[in-house]
Amino acid sequence: MKLDTASLHIEQPILWLVITIFAAGIFLADTITDLEIAVAVLYVAVVLISVWTDRPRAVMLVGTGCGILTIASYLLTRFGDPEAGLANCALSLLAIGATTYLALRIEAANLAARQAQADLAHMSRMMLVGEMGTSIAHEVSQPLAAIVANGNAAIRWLGAAPPNGGEARKALDRIVEAAGRAGDVIGRVRNLAARTPPSRKPIDMAELVQETLALALGEIRSSQITLRTELANDLPMVAGDRVQLQQVILNFVINAIDAIKAGRTDERDLLVSLSTDGEKITLSVRDNGVGLSQGSLDKVFDAFYSTKPGGMGVGLAISRSIVEAHRGSVYAAPNYPHGAVFGFRLPMDEAPMDKAPMDKAKD
Amino acid sequence: MQEPQATIYVVDDDPLVRDGLDSLLRSVGYEVRSFASVDDFTRHPRKDAASCLVLDVRMPGPSGLDFQARLAESGDAIPVIFLTGHGDVPMSVRAIKAGAVEFLLKPFREQDLLDAIRAGLEKDRVYRLDAGLLAELRERLATLNARERNVMALVVTGLLNKQVAGELGVSEITVKVNRAQVMRKMQAATLPDLIRMADRLGLAANR
Repeated sequence: MKLDTASLHIEQPILWLVITIFAAGIFLADTITDLEIAVAVLYVAVVLISVWTDRPRAVMLVGTGCGILTIASYLLTRFGDPEAGLANCALSLLAIGATTYLALRIEAANLAARQAQADLAHMSRMMLVGEMGTSIAHEVSQPLAAIVANGNAAIRWLGAAPPNGGEARKALDRIVEAAGRAGDVIGRVRNLAARTPPSRKPIDMAELVQETLALALGEIRSSQITLRTELANDLPMVAGDRVQLQQVILNFVINAIDAIKAGRTDERDLLVSLSTDGEKITLSVRDNGVGLSQGSLDKVFDAFYSTKPGGMGVGLAISRSIVEAHRGSVYAAPNYPHGAVFGFRLPMDEAPMDKAPMDKAKD
Repeated sequence: MQEPQATIYVVDDDPLVRDGLDSLLRSVGYEVRSFASVDDFTRHPRKDAASCLVLDVRMPGPSGLDFQARLAESGDAIPVIFLTGHGDVPMSVRAIKAGAVEFLLKPFREQDLLDAIRAGLEKDRVYRLDAGLLAELRERLATLNARERNVMALVVTGLLNKQVAGELGVSEITVKVNRAQVMRKMQAATLPDLIRMADRLGLAANR
Protein backbone atom coordinates (compact mmCIF):
# COMPACT_ATOMS: atom_id res chain seq x y z
CA MET A 1 0.00 0.00 0.00
CA LYS A 2 1.37 3.35 -1.00
CA LEU A 3 1.49 6.02 1.61
CA ASP A 4 0.00 9.43 1.16
CA THR A 5 2.08 11.21 3.73
CA ALA A 6 2.04 14.46 1.83
CA SER A 7 -1.61 15.35 2.14
CA LEU A 8 -1.45 16.80 5.63
CA HIS A 9 1.62 18.91 6.02
CA ILE A 10 1.79 20.13 2.45
CA GLU A 11 -1.69 21.52 2.52
CA GLN A 12 -0.62 24.81 4.07
CA PRO A 13 2.38 25.38 1.74
CA ILE A 14 0.16 24.64 -1.27
CA LEU A 15 -2.26 27.26 -0.08
CA TRP A 16 0.52 29.80 0.23
CA LEU A 17 1.74 28.88 -3.23
CA VAL A 18 -1.70 29.46 -4.71
CA ILE A 19 -2.00 32.77 -2.89
CA THR A 20 1.41 33.89 -4.13
CA ILE A 21 0.73 32.89 -7.75
CA PHE A 22 -2.66 34.62 -7.77
CA ALA A 23 -1.31 37.75 -6.17
CA ALA A 24 1.66 37.82 -8.57
CA GLY A 25 -0.63 37.30 -11.58
CA ILE A 26 -2.96 40.08 -10.53
CA PHE A 27 -0.03 42.35 -9.80
CA LEU A 28 1.43 41.69 -13.23
CA ALA A 29 -1.90 42.22 -15.00
CA ASP A 30 -2.60 45.32 -12.98
CA THR A 31 0.79 46.81 -13.71
CA ILE A 32 0.86 46.22 -17.49
CA THR A 33 -2.73 47.19 -18.19
CA ASP A 34 -3.99 50.77 -18.32
CA LEU A 35 -4.71 52.68 -15.16
CA GLU A 36 -8.40 52.81 -16.19
CA ILE A 37 -8.73 49.03 -15.80
CA ALA A 38 -9.21 48.09 -12.13
CA VAL A 39 -7.63 44.64 -12.14
CA ALA A 40 -6.64 45.18 -8.48
CA VAL A 41 -10.21 44.49 -7.39
CA LEU A 42 -9.45 40.83 -8.08
CA TYR A 43 -7.22 40.84 -4.96
CA VAL A 44 -10.39 40.20 -2.94
CA ALA A 45 -10.27 36.63 -4.29
CA VAL A 46 -6.76 36.27 -2.86
CA VAL A 47 -7.93 37.53 0.51
CA LEU A 48 -10.83 35.06 0.47
CA ILE A 49 -8.45 32.19 -0.34
CA SER A 50 -6.35 33.15 2.67
CA VAL A 51 -9.31 32.39 4.95
CA TRP A 52 -8.55 28.69 4.35
CA THR A 53 -5.34 29.04 6.35
CA ASP A 54 -7.53 29.33 9.44
CA ARG A 55 -5.19 31.96 10.84
CA PRO A 56 -6.33 35.54 11.44
CA ARG A 57 -2.76 36.76 11.25
CA ALA A 58 -2.36 35.24 7.78
CA VAL A 59 -5.55 36.91 6.55
CA MET A 60 -4.33 40.22 7.92
CA LEU A 61 -0.97 39.73 6.23
CA VAL A 62 -2.50 38.85 2.86
CA GLY A 63 -4.91 41.78 3.03
CA THR A 64 -2.12 44.24 3.80
CA GLY A 65 0.10 42.67 1.11
CA CYS A 66 -2.62 43.07 -1.52
CA GLY A 67 -3.07 46.70 -0.50
CA ILE A 68 0.64 47.39 -0.89
CA LEU A 69 0.71 45.63 -4.28
CA THR A 70 -2.23 47.71 -5.47
CA ILE A 71 -0.42 50.93 -4.58
CA ALA A 72 2.80 49.62 -6.12
CA SER A 73 0.96 48.81 -9.38
CA TYR A 74 -0.52 52.29 -9.48
CA LEU A 75 2.90 53.84 -9.09
CA LEU A 76 4.53 51.53 -11.64
CA THR A 77 1.86 51.68 -14.36
CA ARG A 78 2.89 53.92 -17.25
CA PHE A 79 -0.29 54.05 -19.35
CA GLY A 80 -3.66 55.63 -18.86
CA ASP A 81 -5.24 58.53 -17.06
CA PRO A 82 -3.61 59.09 -13.64
CA GLU A 83 -6.83 60.51 -12.18
CA ALA A 84 -8.93 57.52 -13.16
CA GLY A 85 -6.06 55.36 -11.92
CA LEU A 86 -6.12 57.06 -8.53
CA ALA A 87 -9.87 56.54 -8.23
CA ASN A 88 -9.52 52.89 -9.29
CA CYS A 89 -6.67 52.41 -6.82
CA ALA A 90 -8.76 53.91 -4.01
CA LEU A 91 -11.76 51.74 -4.91
CA SER A 92 -9.61 48.61 -5.03
CA LEU A 93 -8.09 49.44 -1.66
CA LEU A 94 -11.57 49.93 -0.23
CA ALA A 95 -12.71 46.57 -1.64
CA ILE A 96 -9.62 44.79 -0.31
CA GLY A 97 -10.01 46.46 3.08
CA ALA A 98 -13.69 45.55 3.35
CA THR A 99 -13.05 41.98 2.27
CA THR A 100 -10.19 41.59 4.72
CA TYR A 101 -12.39 42.91 7.50
CA LEU A 102 -15.19 40.49 6.62
CA ALA A 103 -12.74 37.62 6.24
CA LEU A 104 -11.38 38.34 9.71
CA ARG A 105 -14.91 38.35 11.09
CA ILE A 106 -15.57 34.95 9.49
CA GLU A 107 -12.26 33.74 10.87
CA ALA A 108 -13.17 34.87 14.40
CA ALA A 109 -16.58 33.24 14.17
CA ASN A 110 -15.01 29.99 12.98
CA LEU A 111 -12.55 30.11 15.82
CA ALA A 112 -15.27 30.73 18.39
CA ALA A 113 -17.33 27.88 16.98
CA ARG A 114 -14.37 25.52 17.11
CA GLN A 115 -13.53 26.60 20.63
CA ALA A 116 -17.12 26.00 21.73
CA GLN A 117 -17.03 22.60 20.08
CA ALA A 118 -13.80 21.67 21.83
CA ASP A 119 -15.12 22.90 25.18
CA LEU A 120 -18.25 20.89 24.71
CA ALA A 121 -16.34 17.75 23.84
CA HIS A 122 -14.12 18.23 26.85
CA MET A 123 -17.07 18.89 29.12
CA SER A 124 -19.00 15.87 27.97
CA ARG A 125 -15.89 13.76 28.43
CA MET A 126 -15.47 15.11 31.96
CA MET A 127 -19.09 14.51 32.72
CA LEU A 128 -18.89 10.98 31.42
CA VAL A 129 -15.85 10.27 33.57
CA GLY A 130 -17.49 11.92 36.57
CA GLU A 131 -20.64 9.94 36.14
CA MET A 132 -18.70 6.74 35.68
CA GLY A 133 -16.77 7.52 38.86
CA THR A 134 -19.94 8.12 40.83
CA SER A 135 -21.58 4.93 39.73
CA ILE A 136 -18.42 2.91 40.33
CA ALA A 137 -18.12 4.45 43.80
CA HIS A 138 -21.67 3.42 44.54
CA GLU A 139 -21.19 -0.08 43.18
CA VAL A 140 -18.08 -0.61 45.27
CA SER A 141 -19.33 1.10 48.41
CA GLN A 142 -22.13 -1.43 48.68
CA PRO A 143 -19.97 -4.57 49.07
CA LEU A 144 -17.51 -2.57 51.18
CA ALA A 145 -20.31 -1.63 53.57
CA ALA A 146 -21.26 -5.29 53.74
CA ILE A 147 -17.64 -6.23 54.49
CA VAL A 148 -17.37 -3.60 57.25
CA ALA A 149 -20.63 -4.63 58.90
CA ASN A 150 -20.01 -8.37 58.65
CA GLY A 151 -16.37 -8.06 59.64
CA ASN A 152 -17.19 -6.15 62.79
CA ALA A 153 -20.00 -8.57 63.54
CA ALA A 154 -17.64 -11.55 63.18
CA ILE A 155 -15.11 -9.93 65.52
CA ARG A 156 -17.81 -9.37 68.12
CA TRP A 157 -19.29 -12.85 67.81
CA LEU A 158 -15.82 -14.37 68.25
CA GLY A 159 -15.07 -12.06 71.19
CA ALA A 160 -18.30 -12.88 72.97
CA ALA A 161 -18.29 -15.14 76.02
CA PRO A 162 -18.81 -17.86 74.97
CA PRO A 163 -17.76 -17.16 71.36
CA ASN A 164 -20.51 -17.72 68.82
CA GLY A 165 -18.73 -19.58 66.04
CA GLY A 166 -21.87 -20.18 64.01
CA GLU A 167 -22.76 -16.51 63.68
CA ALA A 168 -19.13 -15.57 63.06
CA ARG A 169 -18.91 -18.11 60.26
CA LYS A 170 -22.03 -16.83 58.59
CA ALA A 171 -20.68 -13.29 58.75
CA LEU A 172 -17.35 -14.45 57.27
CA ASP A 173 -19.17 -16.21 54.43
CA ARG A 174 -20.93 -12.96 53.63
CA ILE A 175 -17.58 -11.12 53.64
CA VAL A 176 -16.18 -13.52 51.07
CA GLU A 177 -19.26 -13.08 48.92
CA ALA A 178 -19.14 -9.29 49.19
CA ALA A 179 -15.44 -9.25 48.30
CA GLY A 180 -16.23 -11.34 45.25
CA ARG A 181 -18.83 -8.83 44.22
CA ALA A 182 -16.40 -5.91 44.63
CA GLY A 183 -14.00 -7.87 42.43
CA ASP A 184 -16.69 -8.23 39.78
CA VAL A 185 -17.22 -4.48 39.77
CA ILE A 186 -13.53 -3.90 39.22
CA GLY A 187 -13.52 -6.45 36.44
CA ARG A 188 -16.36 -4.63 34.74
CA VAL A 189 -14.52 -1.31 35.03
CA ARG A 190 -11.47 -2.87 33.42
CA ASN A 191 -13.55 -4.13 30.55
CA LEU A 192 -15.03 -0.70 30.17
CA ALA A 193 -11.64 1.00 29.99
CA ALA A 194 -10.26 -1.37 27.40
CA ARG A 195 -12.88 -3.70 26.06
CA THR A 196 -11.10 -7.01 26.20
CA PRO A 197 -10.47 -8.74 23.99
CA PRO A 198 -10.01 -5.87 21.56
CA SER A 199 -10.99 -6.71 18.04
CA ARG A 200 -7.97 -7.85 16.07
CA LYS A 201 -8.03 -6.58 12.54
CA PRO A 202 -5.06 -5.64 10.37
CA ILE A 203 -4.40 -1.93 10.67
CA ASP A 204 -2.32 0.27 8.44
CA MET A 205 -0.80 2.47 11.12
CA ALA A 206 0.25 5.24 8.75
CA GLU A 207 -3.29 5.54 7.51
CA LEU A 208 -4.61 5.51 11.05
CA VAL A 209 -2.21 8.29 12.06
CA GLN A 210 -3.30 10.41 9.09
CA GLU A 211 -6.94 9.90 9.91
CA THR A 212 -6.42 10.74 13.53
CA LEU A 213 -4.43 13.88 12.77
CA ALA A 214 -7.22 15.01 10.48
CA LEU A 215 -9.49 15.06 13.53
CA ALA A 216 -7.12 17.35 15.41
CA LEU A 217 -6.20 19.52 12.44
CA GLY A 218 -8.58 22.34 13.28
CA GLU A 219 -7.16 22.62 16.76
CA ILE A 220 -3.57 22.37 15.49
CA ARG A 221 -4.08 25.20 12.99
CA SER A 222 -5.94 27.52 15.26
CA SER A 223 -3.21 27.03 17.87
CA GLN A 224 -0.69 28.01 15.21
CA ILE A 225 1.25 24.82 15.61
CA THR A 226 3.47 23.53 12.84
CA LEU A 227 2.66 19.90 12.32
CA ARG A 228 5.20 17.57 10.79
CA THR A 229 4.82 13.89 10.14
CA GLU A 230 7.56 11.37 9.53
CA LEU A 231 5.82 8.18 8.59
CA ALA A 232 8.11 5.38 7.44
CA ASN A 233 7.18 3.77 4.15
CA ASP A 234 6.10 0.16 3.77
CA LEU A 235 5.33 -0.47 7.41
CA PRO A 236 3.82 -3.87 8.08
CA MET A 237 0.29 -4.10 9.40
CA VAL A 238 -0.48 -4.17 13.09
CA ALA A 239 -3.26 -6.31 14.53
CA GLY A 240 -5.65 -4.47 16.76
CA ASP A 241 -8.67 -2.35 17.37
CA ARG A 242 -8.72 0.73 15.15
CA VAL A 243 -11.01 2.80 17.32
CA GLN A 244 -9.06 2.10 20.50
CA LEU A 245 -5.67 2.85 18.97
CA GLN A 246 -7.06 5.97 17.39
CA GLN A 247 -8.23 7.06 20.83
CA VAL A 248 -4.69 6.60 22.16
CA ILE A 249 -3.05 8.57 19.34
CA LEU A 250 -5.62 11.35 19.61
CA ASN A 251 -5.01 11.48 23.33
CA PHE A 252 -1.26 11.94 22.81
CA VAL A 253 -1.83 14.60 20.17
CA ILE A 254 -4.33 16.58 22.22
CA ASN A 255 -2.04 16.43 25.24
CA ALA A 256 0.80 17.69 23.06
CA ILE A 257 -1.33 20.56 21.76
CA ASP A 258 -2.28 21.49 25.33
CA ALA A 259 1.37 21.37 26.37
CA ILE A 260 2.43 23.57 23.45
CA LYS A 261 -0.32 26.07 24.18
CA ALA A 262 0.75 26.16 27.83
CA GLY A 263 4.37 26.76 26.80
CA ARG A 264 5.87 30.18 26.11
CA THR A 265 7.92 29.37 23.08
CA ASP A 266 7.23 31.05 19.75
CA GLU A 267 8.21 27.96 17.83
CA ARG A 268 5.29 25.66 18.15
CA ASP A 269 6.24 22.30 16.74
CA LEU A 270 4.48 18.99 16.80
CA LEU A 271 6.14 15.97 15.26
CA VAL A 272 4.28 12.71 14.82
CA SER A 273 6.38 9.84 13.61
CA LEU A 274 6.09 6.16 12.88
CA SER A 275 9.14 3.95 12.63
CA THR A 276 10.14 0.35 12.98
CA ASP A 277 13.12 -1.61 14.18
CA GLY A 278 12.03 -4.76 12.40
CA GLU A 279 10.25 -6.20 15.42
CA LYS A 280 8.08 -3.42 16.67
CA ILE A 281 6.37 -0.40 15.28
CA THR A 282 6.97 2.76 17.27
CA LEU A 283 4.66 5.74 17.25
CA SER A 284 5.88 8.91 18.84
CA VAL A 285 4.30 12.31 19.39
CA ARG A 286 6.91 14.94 20.10
CA ASP A 287 6.11 18.47 21.23
CA ASN A 288 8.13 21.45 22.38
CA GLY A 289 5.58 22.53 24.96
CA VAL A 290 5.89 22.92 28.71
CA GLY A 291 7.29 19.45 29.26
CA LEU A 292 7.18 17.36 32.41
CA SER A 293 9.47 16.88 35.38
CA GLN A 294 11.11 13.48 35.84
CA GLY A 295 8.78 12.82 38.78
CA SER A 296 5.74 13.54 36.65
CA LEU A 297 7.03 11.41 33.78
CA ASP A 298 7.21 8.42 36.10
CA LYS A 299 3.61 8.81 37.18
CA VAL A 300 1.99 10.23 34.10
CA PHE A 301 0.36 6.95 33.04
CA ASP A 302 -1.09 6.32 36.50
CA ALA A 303 -4.82 6.71 36.94
CA PHE A 304 -6.00 9.99 38.46
CA TYR A 305 -2.60 11.60 38.04
CA SER A 306 -2.69 14.82 36.06
CA THR A 307 -0.46 17.84 35.59
CA LYS A 308 -3.10 19.78 33.70
CA PRO A 309 -5.29 22.21 35.59
CA GLY A 310 -8.70 20.60 35.67
CA GLY A 311 -7.24 17.36 34.30
CA MET A 312 -8.81 14.10 35.39
CA GLY A 313 -5.77 11.89 35.02
CA VAL A 314 -7.77 9.37 33.07
CA GLY A 315 -6.75 9.70 29.41
CA LEU A 316 -3.22 8.37 29.64
CA ALA A 317 -4.19 5.65 32.09
CA ILE A 318 -6.78 4.37 29.65
CA SER A 319 -4.26 4.75 26.80
CA ARG A 320 -1.84 2.54 28.65
CA SER A 321 -4.41 -0.18 29.28
CA ILE A 322 -5.42 -0.11 25.62
CA VAL A 323 -1.84 -0.40 24.40
CA GLU A 324 -1.07 -3.16 26.86
CA ALA A 325 -4.16 -5.03 25.71
CA HIS A 326 -2.51 -4.90 22.27
CA ARG A 327 0.62 -6.51 23.76
CA GLY A 328 2.45 -3.22 23.40
CA SER A 329 4.01 -0.72 25.77
CA VAL A 330 3.74 3.02 26.30
CA TYR A 331 6.52 5.45 27.09
CA ALA A 332 7.03 9.09 28.00
CA ALA A 333 10.32 10.97 27.88
CA PRO A 334 11.54 14.55 27.93
CA ASN A 335 12.16 16.23 24.58
CA TYR A 336 15.24 18.48 24.15
CA PRO A 337 15.55 21.35 24.73
CA HIS A 338 11.99 21.43 25.98
CA GLY A 339 8.74 19.55 25.68
CA ALA A 340 7.96 15.88 25.89
CA VAL A 341 7.67 12.75 23.79
CA PHE A 342 4.83 10.30 24.26
CA GLY A 343 4.45 7.14 22.31
CA PHE A 344 3.89 3.44 22.15
CA ARG A 345 5.49 0.37 20.65
CA LEU A 346 3.36 -2.36 19.19
CA PRO A 347 4.48 -5.77 18.04
CA MET A 348 4.19 -6.28 14.31
CA ASP A 349 1.58 -8.59 13.07
CA GLU A 350 3.81 -11.35 11.80
CA ALA A 351 1.25 -14.14 12.09
CA PRO A 352 -1.89 -14.37 9.99
CA MET A 353 -5.01 -12.83 11.49
CA ASP A 354 -7.54 -14.62 13.64
CA LYS A 355 -5.51 -17.75 14.30
CA ALA A 356 -2.72 -15.77 15.88
CA PRO A 357 -4.00 -15.29 19.45
CA MET A 358 -4.75 -18.96 20.03
CA ASP A 359 -1.39 -20.18 18.79
CA LYS A 360 0.55 -17.62 20.73
CA ALA A 361 -1.15 -18.25 24.01
CA LYS A 362 0.59 -21.60 24.21
CA ASP A 363 4.22 -20.56 24.11
CA MET B 1 -23.35 -1.77 76.03
CA GLN B 2 -26.57 -3.73 76.34
CA GLU B 3 -29.66 -1.59 75.80
CA PRO B 4 -32.61 -3.62 77.03
CA GLN B 5 -35.73 -3.75 74.87
CA ALA B 6 -34.32 -1.42 72.24
CA THR B 7 -35.26 -2.58 68.77
CA ILE B 8 -33.39 -1.56 65.65
CA TYR B 9 -35.16 -1.76 62.32
CA VAL B 10 -32.90 -2.16 59.31
CA VAL B 11 -34.15 -1.52 55.79
CA ASP B 12 -31.68 -2.23 52.96
CA ASP B 13 -32.36 -3.99 49.69
CA ASP B 14 -28.86 -5.46 49.51
CA PRO B 15 -28.97 -8.81 51.33
CA LEU B 16 -25.26 -8.83 52.18
CA VAL B 17 -25.42 -5.38 53.77
CA ARG B 18 -28.74 -6.10 55.43
CA ASP B 19 -27.60 -9.39 56.96
CA GLY B 20 -24.30 -7.80 57.96
CA LEU B 21 -26.04 -4.97 59.79
CA ASP B 22 -28.45 -7.44 61.33
CA SER B 23 -25.61 -9.62 62.58
CA LEU B 24 -23.51 -6.68 63.76
CA LEU B 25 -26.33 -5.07 65.74
CA ARG B 26 -27.35 -8.39 67.27
CA SER B 27 -23.74 -9.01 68.29
CA VAL B 28 -23.84 -5.68 70.12
CA GLY B 29 -26.96 -6.82 71.94
CA TYR B 30 -29.81 -5.07 70.18
CA GLU B 31 -32.95 -6.71 69.02
CA VAL B 32 -32.96 -6.38 65.25
CA ARG B 33 -35.66 -6.64 62.61
CA SER B 34 -34.49 -6.29 59.04
CA PHE B 35 -36.44 -5.72 55.86
CA ALA B 36 -35.71 -5.62 52.15
CA SER B 37 -38.04 -2.71 51.45
CA VAL B 38 -39.86 0.10 53.22
CA ASP B 39 -43.15 -1.57 52.35
CA ASP B 40 -42.14 -4.69 54.25
CA PHE B 41 -41.19 -2.47 57.16
CA THR B 42 -44.50 -0.60 57.06
CA ARG B 43 -46.47 -3.85 57.08
CA HIS B 44 -44.58 -5.17 60.09
CA PRO B 45 -46.22 -4.45 63.47
CA ARG B 46 -43.87 -2.52 65.72
CA LYS B 47 -43.31 -2.91 69.44
CA ASP B 48 -44.04 0.02 71.70
CA ALA B 49 -40.46 0.38 72.87
CA ALA B 50 -37.41 2.55 72.20
CA SER B 51 -36.38 1.95 68.62
CA CYS B 52 -34.74 3.50 65.62
CA LEU B 53 -34.61 2.92 61.91
CA VAL B 54 -31.48 2.35 59.82
CA LEU B 55 -32.50 3.18 56.27
CA ASP B 56 -30.73 2.91 52.93
CA VAL B 57 -31.36 6.02 50.82
CA ARG B 58 -31.46 4.44 47.40
CA MET B 59 -33.70 1.46 47.04
CA PRO B 60 -36.20 0.12 44.58
CA GLY B 61 -39.65 1.47 45.37
CA PRO B 62 -39.99 4.65 47.41
CA SER B 63 -36.61 6.18 48.21
CA GLY B 64 -35.44 6.50 51.79
CA LEU B 65 -35.88 10.27 51.74
CA ASP B 66 -39.45 10.04 50.47
CA PHE B 67 -40.21 7.44 53.07
CA GLN B 68 -38.84 9.72 55.79
CA ALA B 69 -41.26 12.42 54.64
CA ARG B 70 -44.11 9.91 54.69
CA LEU B 71 -43.26 8.85 58.23
CA ALA B 72 -43.24 12.47 59.40
CA GLU B 73 -46.61 13.12 57.74
CA SER B 74 -48.20 10.16 59.45
CA GLY B 75 -46.89 11.39 62.80
CA ASP B 76 -44.45 8.51 63.19
CA ALA B 77 -41.51 9.89 65.14
CA ILE B 78 -39.15 6.93 64.87
CA PRO B 79 -35.59 8.35 64.58
CA VAL B 80 -33.99 7.65 61.20
CA ILE B 81 -30.33 6.97 60.43
CA PHE B 82 -29.57 7.11 56.72
CA LEU B 83 -27.01 5.00 54.92
CA THR B 84 -26.00 5.84 51.42
CA GLY B 85 -23.51 4.66 48.86
CA HIS B 86 -23.34 7.97 47.01
CA GLY B 87 -24.35 10.73 49.37
CA ASP B 88 -24.25 14.17 47.93
CA VAL B 89 -24.47 17.28 50.03
CA PRO B 90 -27.99 18.41 49.07
CA MET B 91 -29.33 14.98 49.88
CA SER B 92 -27.78 14.88 53.32
CA VAL B 93 -28.92 18.43 54.04
CA ARG B 94 -32.46 17.47 53.10
CA ALA B 95 -32.33 14.40 55.31
CA ILE B 96 -30.92 16.19 58.34
CA LYS B 97 -33.34 19.11 57.93
CA ALA B 98 -36.18 16.62 57.88
CA GLY B 99 -34.97 15.41 61.26
CA ALA B 100 -32.66 12.49 60.47
CA VAL B 101 -30.31 11.56 63.31
CA GLU B 102 -27.35 10.90 61.05
CA PHE B 103 -26.44 10.51 57.41
CA LEU B 104 -23.69 7.92 57.00
CA LEU B 105 -21.74 7.23 53.84
CA LYS B 106 -21.11 3.63 52.92
CA PRO B 107 -18.73 2.14 53.76
CA PHE B 108 -19.33 3.57 57.22
CA ARG B 109 -17.18 3.13 60.30
CA GLU B 110 -18.67 0.78 62.86
CA GLN B 111 -18.27 3.32 65.66
CA ASP B 112 -20.10 6.02 63.69
CA LEU B 113 -23.02 3.71 63.15
CA LEU B 114 -23.19 2.58 66.78
CA ASP B 115 -22.92 6.19 67.99
CA ALA B 116 -25.72 7.22 65.66
CA ILE B 117 -27.89 4.38 66.87
CA ARG B 118 -27.28 5.31 70.49
CA ALA B 119 -28.19 8.92 69.68
CA GLY B 120 -31.29 7.75 67.84
CA LEU B 121 -32.47 5.59 70.73
CA GLU B 122 -31.84 8.43 73.16
CA LYS B 123 -33.91 10.74 71.00
CA ASP B 124 -36.68 8.17 70.87
CA ARG B 125 -36.59 7.69 74.64
CA VAL B 126 -36.87 11.43 75.29
CA TYR B 127 -39.66 11.67 72.76
CA ARG B 128 -41.53 8.77 74.32
CA LEU B 129 -41.15 10.25 77.81
CA ASP B 130 -42.42 13.54 76.49
CA ALA B 131 -45.29 11.91 74.65
CA GLY B 132 -46.22 10.04 77.83
CA LEU B 133 -46.25 13.27 79.79
CA LEU B 134 -48.47 14.94 77.25
CA ALA B 135 -50.93 12.06 77.35
CA GLU B 136 -51.03 12.39 81.13
CA LEU B 137 -51.76 16.12 80.90
CA ARG B 138 -54.55 15.49 78.42
CA GLU B 139 -56.12 13.02 80.85
CA ARG B 140 -56.02 15.60 83.61
CA LEU B 141 -57.53 18.23 81.34
CA ALA B 142 -60.36 15.87 80.53
CA THR B 143 -61.40 15.78 84.20
CA LEU B 144 -62.18 19.53 84.16
CA ASN B 145 -65.77 20.62 83.60
CA ALA B 146 -66.66 23.33 81.11
CA ARG B 147 -66.62 26.20 83.65
CA GLU B 148 -63.26 25.11 85.03
CA ARG B 149 -61.80 24.96 81.54
CA ASN B 150 -62.94 28.48 80.80
CA VAL B 151 -61.45 29.70 84.05
CA MET B 152 -58.17 27.94 83.31
CA ALA B 153 -58.00 29.38 79.80
CA LEU B 154 -58.42 32.93 81.15
CA VAL B 155 -56.21 32.57 84.22
CA VAL B 156 -53.22 31.39 82.19
CA THR B 157 -53.41 34.55 80.06
CA GLY B 158 -52.57 36.51 83.21
CA LEU B 159 -56.02 37.90 84.07
CA LEU B 160 -56.87 38.57 87.74
CA ASN B 161 -59.76 36.70 89.39
CA LYS B 162 -61.88 39.85 89.25
CA GLN B 163 -61.28 40.24 85.53
CA VAL B 164 -62.01 36.56 84.89
CA ALA B 165 -65.27 36.95 86.82
CA GLY B 166 -66.18 39.98 84.74
CA GLU B 167 -65.34 38.16 81.53
CA LEU B 168 -67.43 35.11 82.38
CA GLY B 169 -70.22 37.05 84.09
CA VAL B 170 -69.95 35.17 87.40
CA SER B 171 -68.96 36.20 90.94
CA GLU B 172 -65.36 36.46 92.00
CA ILE B 173 -65.97 33.80 94.68
CA THR B 174 -67.06 31.29 92.04
CA VAL B 175 -63.92 31.98 90.06
CA LYS B 176 -61.79 31.47 93.15
CA VAL B 177 -63.40 28.10 93.84
CA ASN B 178 -63.12 27.00 90.22
CA ARG B 179 -59.52 28.10 90.10
CA ALA B 180 -58.64 26.04 93.17
CA GLN B 181 -60.31 23.01 91.53
CA VAL B 182 -58.31 23.57 88.35
CA MET B 183 -55.03 23.71 90.29
CA ARG B 184 -55.89 20.53 92.13
CA LYS B 185 -57.13 18.54 89.15
CA MET B 186 -54.22 19.60 86.93
CA GLN B 187 -51.78 18.94 89.80
CA ALA B 188 -50.22 22.35 89.35
CA ALA B 189 -48.41 23.72 92.40
CA THR B 190 -48.12 27.29 91.17
CA LEU B 191 -49.55 29.51 88.45
CA PRO B 192 -46.38 29.26 86.30
CA ASP B 193 -46.75 25.46 86.41
CA LEU B 194 -50.28 25.78 85.12
CA ILE B 195 -49.20 28.17 82.39
CA ARG B 196 -46.53 25.71 81.23
CA MET B 197 -49.11 22.92 81.11
CA ALA B 198 -51.52 25.07 79.16
CA ASP B 199 -48.70 25.80 76.79
CA ARG B 200 -47.94 22.11 76.25
CA LEU B 201 -51.62 21.41 75.71
CA GLY B 202 -51.86 24.20 73.21
CA LEU B 203 -54.41 26.13 75.26
CA ALA B 204 -52.47 29.37 75.37
CA ALA B 205 -52.46 29.50 71.63
CA ASN B 206 -56.25 29.63 71.58
CA ARG B 207 -56.40 33.02 73.19
